[in-house]
Amino acid sequence: MSTQSSEACVALVGHPNTGKTTLFNALTGQNQKIGNYTGVTVEKRSGDFFTPHGKKIELVDLPGCYSLIPNSPDEAVTRDALLGDLSEEETPDLVLCVLDAANLERHLYLLQQVLDLGCPVLAVLNKVDLAEQMGLRIDPAQLSKDFDIPFIAISGNKQRGVTQLKQAIRFPLPQAPGRCWQGSPEIEKTLKHLEKTLAEQNIPRPAAHAIQALSDPTYEVGNLTAPTGLDEQISKKRFEIIQAAIDNGVRRPDQSPLSLTDKLDHWLLHPFWGWAFFSVLMFTVFWSIFRFAETPMGWIESLQTATQNWIGSFMSEGDFKSLIIDGIIAGVGGVLVFLPQIILLFFFISLLESSGYMARAAYLMDGIMNKVGLSGKSFLPLLSGYACAIPGIMATRTIPNAKERLATILILPWTSCTARLPVYVLIIPLMVTGTFAQGAALFGIYALGTITALLTAKILKPRLGAAEAPQFILELPPYHRPQISYILKQVWERASAFLKKAGTVILGLSIILWFLDTYPKSDSDDPVVQQAASFNGKIGKAIEPIVAPLGWDSRMGTAMIASFAAREVFRSSLAISYATDEEEEETLRAQLTASTRKDGSMLYTPLVGLSIIIFFIYALQCLPTTAVVRRETNSWKWALAQLGGMTLFAYLAALIVYQTGLLLGFT
Amino acid sequence: MSSLALDLELDSALTLSQAAMGCEFQIRQVEGPACRQLREIGFCEQMRVKKLTNGRNMLCTICGTRLALSKDLADQIMVIPA
Repeated sequence: MSTQSSEACVALVGHPNTGKTTLFNALTGQNQKIGNYTGVTVEKRSGDFFTPHGKKIELVDLPGCYSLIPNSPDEAVTRDALLGDLSEEETPDLVLCVLDAANLERHLYLLQQVLDLGCPVLAVLNKVDLAEQMGLRIDPAQLSKDFDIPFIAISGNKQRGVTQLKQAIRFPLPQAPGRCWQGSPEIEKTLKHLEKTLAEQNIPRPAAHAIQALSDPTYEVGNLTAPTGLDEQISKKRFEIIQAAIDNGVRRPDQSPLSLTDKLDHWLLHPFWGWAFFSVLMFTVFWSIFRFAETPMGWIESLQTATQNWIGSFMSEGDFKSLIIDGIIAGVGGVLVFLPQIILLFFFISLLESSGYMARAAYLMDGIMNKVGLSGKSFLPLLSGYACAIPGIMATRTIPNAKERLATILILPWTSCTARLPVYVLIIPLMVTGTFAQGAALFGIYALGTITALLTAKILKPRLGAAEAPQFILELPPYHRPQISYILKQVWERASAFLKKAGTVILGLSIILWFLDTYPKSDSDDPVVQQAASFNGKIGKAIEPIVAPLGWDSRMGTAMIASFAAREVFRSSLAISYATDEEEEETLRAQLTASTRKDGSMLYTPLVGLSIIIFFIYALQCLPTTAVVRRETNSWKWALAQLGGMTLFAYLAALIVYQTGLLLGFT
Repeated sequence: MSSLALDLELDSALTLSQAAMGCEFQIRQVEGPACRQLREIGFCEQMRVKKLTNGRNMLCTICGTRLALSKDLADQIMVIPA
């Protein structure tokens, strides 16, 4: 059942937080590819590795799940992959069931379910070092005997036992031991009947489908109506086997001393100190993004200017030189300058994830989330939204409650993503000076977006239809030293995605914007006259009546229209349009500060800056997000209502802020 | 254990949300709409559970894992002192 190039397909199965992905990385190294399962938006992670005997193995990292009775679309993929129900996906030749040795009792149920499906299984006892520290005594040989499959002890984090694991994946692969329990006569009779019916309907692996259908009353296969009420009996039978295996193969110490996690959680989950730490931590993250990115941003800006001067020095005047310097370098460079901030943001998010603190933040936030009808489960998708709305929306699949998931998707774009950061960072210094004040302003922007999102959820949730109160259950992994390799990998993936976007979408849009800004040509040499004659000038004039009440000029209006393709383009668009101005200012910010209205008054006043920022906090200017919302909600209605609603809200909010500011006497 | 003995024991059992903080318990019964989900995550009969905090979302450890669960879920877990 393997692909032409590899000799076997091996699937990784396990609970979330078992170290499945760490093991996947340790086995496959750099030979990984990420795609999607056909027909569903669940990420498929696969890679290759060679056994010590030189056999090529394809390894698939299936989504983490607590059981094969799914609570979310991700978990359903794991079940379907093991049953061979995914079209275009091969049934695994071997399943590596990753178990957390420190919590073996909780993990054996999934192993038992996989065995019941008749899959060949190799059990991987991960985190054995942690189990030893906790004083647990595990006997892998006894467990192997009880379950009739090999148990390999490893420590994925420390790369211990990975070679032994590779050696264990040898040909011929282990045989499937099958079900190791005998049910009541009623169960056995029903299973036989179901199996026969499924075989008659030409369903492959009828025995596996029959046990799955009987264990999960919600599972549908063929034209089968499985009797209900036996699932409870099957589940009890499985727990009996597990309990017996634990009694034989695992010894726990009677009293475990207070661990570092216990001591840290005493403070970090404290009703007062927990919140104090969380607030200080979040503020520090935003302050650091400003403070530590300053120097590398200066380098990138200097490099951009030097490149423009260097290329300009040997090119003759003309449209081609203008395209290279004012179009491509100004446009792409204007966005690239934010690479250090994006790296820092992802560094902090990965650091919090890797240290185990992120789940604590979800626990703390559950109280607030509950007040607006959501649960702590919505916190992680919302937090991912600060990086990028798309993975955030995809992460909502872990929310079991459908209404809560929809409400989270609808409000998620108001958690400011990194694409907005270039705009904020450009505009904030026009409003306030000093690193502390700028950090506080950035924190305030993020807080405003979040608060509005939560209030909207409160208004929206009851209108989405009646639903049961969200039930909250969350595993809090032990704190551990952050894994530098994981952090670097995350940062690299995001930074390279940003660079790729800058080199493709933003480069293309910069060229189009330059074209619209340069043509048609006017007879005058005056850049202001030329700008007015260009396509952009005309578009800007046409929309000026709409954006003028926000305090914006036509160039900002054009930039705003362009930014609906990608928000970062706002900065590129301004960079391109101001690059043609008379002032020979070095940076875009200096050009903006120096720009004036027709009456000679300053254009970018703090009030105008605030109006721009308010618009950007609330507008949904990202077509890929709309496409993902449509896919995840399976409805154009919600996707378009979100796009229209957020744009209108953004316009009205910016209008109210600017006009109120004027009434209060600000300029 | 006979069903009468189990019934008597259950009469004296508490829900996990009623149980005292800082003490260790043994799970006697998991009953309610979310019982399957609770069992799958580790709250099975016979397991030992230590309750760490009270509140709307309580913290507990089961087999060395820390879990946070809401009160309505904790109400579905019947425990006796270990």
